[in-house]
This record gives sequence, structure tokens and C-alpha cells, in this order.
Amino acid sequence: MVFLAIEQYLFTSVLILYVVTMLLYVLYMILKKETISRIALIVQIVALVLHTLAIISRGIGAGRLPLTNQYEFATAFAWGLSLVSLIFILKFRFHLLGAFASPVIILIIGYAAMQSKEVKELMPALKSGWLGLHVASAIIAYGAFGVAFVLSLIFLLRDKMKAKGFLDRHIPPAAKLDVISYRSVCLGLLFLSFTIVSGAIWAEQAWGSYWSWDPKETWSLVTWLIYAVYLHLRIFAKWKGKPAAIFATVGFIAVIFTYIGVNTFLPGVHSYK
Amino acid sequence: MKFAVILLVILIISCVFGSFITQNQTLSWYTEHYSERVAAAIIALHLDDVFHSVWFLVIAGVLCLNLILCNLTRIRPIIDKIRRAGKAPERFEGYLKISGVEDPEDVFEKMHFPKPAADETEDGEKRLFASKNRAGLFGAWICHLGILLLIVGFVLGQLTHREYTVYGVAGETKTVGDTGLFLEINDFQVELRDDDTVSEYRSRITVYSAKDPENRASSEVTVNHPADLYGYRFYQNSTGYAATVKVVKEDALLQENVIAAGEGVRIEEKPMLTVFLQAFYPDLFMTSEGPKTASGKMDNPAYLYSLYYGEDLLGMNVLKEGEEIRVDDYVITFSDPENYTLLQVKKDSFTWMALMGGLIILIGLVLAFYLQQENLAAVREDDGTWTVYGRSGKGSVIFKERLEIAAGKPAESEE
Repeated sequence: MVFLAIEQYLFTSVLILYVVTMLLYVLYMILKKETISRIALIVQIVALVLHTLAIISRGIGAGRLPLTNQYEFATAFAWGLSLVSLIFILKFRFHLLGAFASPVIILIIGYAAMQSKEVKELMPALKSGWLGLHVASAIIAYGAFGVAFVLSLIFLLRDKMKAKGFLDRHIPPAAKLDVISYRSVCLGLLFLSFTIVSGAIWAEQAWGSYWSWDPKETWSLVTWLIYAVYLHLRIFAKWKGKPAAIFATVGFIAVIFTYIGVNTFLPGVHSYK
Repeated sequence: MKFAVILLVILIISCVFGSFITQNQTLSWYTEHYSERVAAAIIALHLDDVFHSVWFLVIAGVLCLNLILCNLTRIRPIIDKIRRAGKAPERFEGYLKISGVEDPEDVFEKMHFPKPAADETEDGEKRLFASKNRAGLFGAWICHLGILLLIVGFVLGQLTHREYTVYGVAGETKTVGDTGLFLEINDFQVELRDDDTVSEYRSRITVYSAKDPENRASSEVTVNHPADLYGYRFYQNSTGYAATVKVVKEDALLQENVIAAGEGVRIEEKPMLTVFLQAFYPDLFMTSEGPKTASGKMDNPAYLYSLYYGEDLLGMNVLKEGEEIRVDDYVITFSDPENYTLLQVKKDSFTWMALMGGLIILIGLVLAFYLQQENLAAVREDDGTWTVYGRSGKGSVIFKERLEIAAGKPAESEE
């Protein structure tokens, strides 16, 4: 119980820190001082560390992997998005990505806050070593698609605003934004593929069938197919830039539907109600 | 590739239909939930069973054909491309160019290229050349091969697999469909936690063949841990309640049967009379919505039964432990409630192919996404400096940045 109480304190702190991160980035865009951007990045790193600790605390408190219900997956989804966005910020030296990613992280954490935080024991089907691999890869996949979505929004915004001055200096050129978004989609697709394959192996052991067209499975496939079309269109139709950005945005809507919509509207064996 | 994209879009739309329209229902069900016209369209277009419909299989088949043709026609160009990528071209057309580099080997090192091969052209031009990640060019091809294997494995598995369900209580022996196998349920336990939630379903089974009853194989089956016996895989699928039905006439036991909830038993002396065990409540409490159970513990066991004469319902009620149903001269009682185990028995000889397909897809994606084929060359100029040429298969913007950082100079495109 102590660890669960700690997790709740950490969860609240994390939520506040992500809000602070977003405000600092807004301040950075207003005051245009590089120091503020560096502080915002540090706050986001601290938030991610505390977020990790919160997930670990819940895992210890629950005595199992904390990746089995809507609350746990939502907070892990936000963690994945925060992690992938940080990797991309540091790898591509693109600090302003944090300004656009943090509102999405806050939205997902806000969704988590509205879910039941009750710790329930695992049903027999979930007691498997595949749980960690399957859900952890889904978190990274969703996080990467989330970053691709944010990058696409930045691309479209840049295109619309015809960014000049500060924004032009701090947002990568359109061609580079397009490539970074593409790389994020690649990361997401790789991990989504692993999620589907590991889920199939697990389903074969637990339900006796590695693919049964359960709504969650079907929508994971839909998401996979959408991003596969995105990759093909980039190659043969030269769909780069704006059309690719719009496509990546649509893809993320499919991701969100797979995560929230399917559980809400299309219950199946993945609902665990 | 255009055709492949059209197929993928059709598959996406099919999946959306298949997930939004409740599958495997009757025309009357669809009429009740949609309009008559929509229901008729659903049945006519086989949207009631999208994933097993002929048109869906045809799309999958055409996709396979497309993948085969795509892979067959692309293998040669890919091999040629890999060969070409390993050799320095005559002219660096389409390459990025950086002039005036003092130490080209340092650029190769900073770009994580292997040690470049040195050669000299007929004109006496000194050149360095290295290529890396050529295997990456195979990525998409391997990925397509994996998809093909997965679809073929899945379809063959669907067409040839054998699947049976067997249920019973501990002590019973059941036949496994037409396999010639017998399944003895030695024990079945539903393990509960303190909070009454199920921790595990555990069946202990023995399987033997009708041809060789002495050769018996035993195993424990739990959820997530199926048992492989006699070439079949035994899964712990689900559970439910069963009870013993006793029929007594004038103090003499006429018959005794174990039936599962949902099953019925005919009175052998009077076959028109059938008693059904509709449901079992281990810890009964009555609500305005009907009987419910407070927990999984046998604190207040009760049976919901129905009694039929032919197709006429004679009665339906909740019967507690020790209570009786009296009809004509017969006294019917329910007792000894227990959990039955439901085991799924399956043989799918193509699961390995689908699994292999999945793994190959992953390998293909890693190669395609993370082994970007890149070439780097350097040509010695008359003034003693070097001109560095570089090219990346994809992501040229990022490659250009890396190249400029490594060389410490801006790059320009070579016409």
C-alpha cells in the first residue's frame, strides 16, 4: 500500500511537471531565451524520471507488471510518448518538439487520471511472460506514432504559418521535419509489428488461436496497414511533405481508436472487463 | 506498387466493416439492429462474416500473388543494386559533394564507414571508396517474404486445422472428436485468491489412443501453458458449473447424470420430459433483475432449472440444495455442484509458418529502416586536397547533416 501511495504522489507530481514543461516552452517562445528552453528540457527529463519511478512503484505495490488496465496503459502510453519525444529532441537537437509534445502527454495523462486506479489481481490469461514484451512494445509504438503525429502537426503549422524569425530558426526545415517524422513512423511500425507478433504468440498459448479477428487485433492490423500504405505512398507516389504529414495524422487517429475506441465501442477478449 | 496500395486500402476498409458489424449473426438479428435493407445488404455482401467470406479470401489471394510477383521481379534488380553499391562509380552523379577536405579518412571514420578501398583511375586519379549497410537493400524484400509466409501459413492453417472442445468434471473420460483419442480428466481446480478472484484454472489430464490404451500420456494444463500430447495441443479454455441430477421414483433411483449448466437430461422412463440446468449460483442472492451470485464460494448454492414436456415449458424456478422438483411420480433433485473444465484440442500444422512469417517481417523491417545503404568516396584533386562524395539510400537530409559535421564543410549536390 505504501508504494501505491507513493505512486499517487509521484503521478500528481509528474502531471504538474509536464504542465510546467509546457508552460516553460510557451515562455521560451514568447521570451525567446535559450536558457528557458534548457530548463524546460531538464524539467521534462525530471518528469520522465519521476514518471518511471511512479510506474515502478505501482509495479511493486501491485506485485505485478503495471500494464494491464486503462489507467496503467494510459500512464505508460504518456511515458512512452515522453521517452520517444526526448530521444528525438536530443538526437535531432529539436527543443521545440517538447513544446508540441507536452500538451499531448498532458492530455494522455489527464485521460489516465480519469480512469479507475484500483489495483486488481491478474486474471489467468494475463499471467504470462509475454505481457511485459507485448505491452511494452505497444507503448513504444504508440509513443513513436505520437511523436510522428506531433511532428506532422508542426510540419503543417510551419507550412500554414510560413514560419519566420524565431520559429524558422528553431523548427527544422520542412525536408528535415518530414524525414524525422518518417523515422518516427518507422520506429512505431517496427514496434507495432513486434506488438502484433508477440501478441499472436501469446494468444496462441492463452486462447488456442494466434489470430481470431478480435477487435483489438483487427484494429492493430488496420493501424499497421495504414502506416504500410504511408510508406508505400512515400516511395511510389513521392508522398512526402504535406500529404505525408496529413497521412501520419490520420494514422495516429487510428492508434487512438485502437487504444481507447476499441475498448469503448468494440469489446472483445482484449477488454478484460 | 500502386495495385498493392489499392489492395491494402481495400483490406483496411474490410477490417473496419468486420470490426464494426457484429459478426456471425442471423438476418433477423441484423434486421432488429439495423434496417431491413441494411440487414439484407449485410447478408448479401457476406459482411456478417467478413474474414471468412470468399471475397476477403480473394483479396488475400490477390495480395499474395502481388507479393510473389513483386518479390520475383525485384530480386534481380536488388542484387544488381547491391553489386553496384559495392563498387565505386565512374562518375558521382546524384552524390553530395564537399570540396577541399584535407583528411578524407577522418571523414570515413567519423561517418562510421569501414576502411575505404584505394584505387587509381586510368587518368592517375587517386580515389577512396567505401560502402556500408548493403544488406539494408534487402529489407523490404525480406519483409514482403515474411508477409507472404504469414498469410499463406494462416490460410493453410485455417483450411487444414482440426479443433475440438472437450468438457467434463474430474473423474470423467471423454472422447476427443474423431481423433481416436480419449481424454481422462484426472483433476480440475479453480484456484481462488482471498478476494475471491480466480488465480488459475488447472486441469490434470491423461490422454490415450483407442488403438493403444496402455500407452498413456499425462500432463497439467493451465491457461497460457497448453500441453502437447499425441500430436495435439490441449488448451485450458474455460470453465463452468456442473451438477448431478438424480431422478427418483417411489424411493428407487431411476437415473443419475452429471450435466453442465445449459445442458438438459431426458427422464429415461418418460422421454418427453426433460429437465435443464439453466444456471448455477454458488452464493445465491435475489435481485430485482433476477438471481445472482455474491461470490464464487459455495455458501448458498442454488440451481436455476427449467422443465419441458416436449416443447412445452412446464416450469422454471430456482432450487436450493435439498429442495426437490416433483412432476408426476418423479422426484428430481440437483446436488454435488462442481466446476467442469473446458479444454480446447487443436492441431494446426502451419502455425510455425505464420510465426516464421512474423519473425521474418521483423527482420525485414529492421534491415529496411535501420540499415540505410550509404556510399562514401573521396577523390584527390590536383592541389592535394580531396573532394568527398556521399550518398544515402534514404533520409538524405540527415545524411547531409552528418556528412557536413564529419567534414566540417558545407555540402552541395553533384549534378
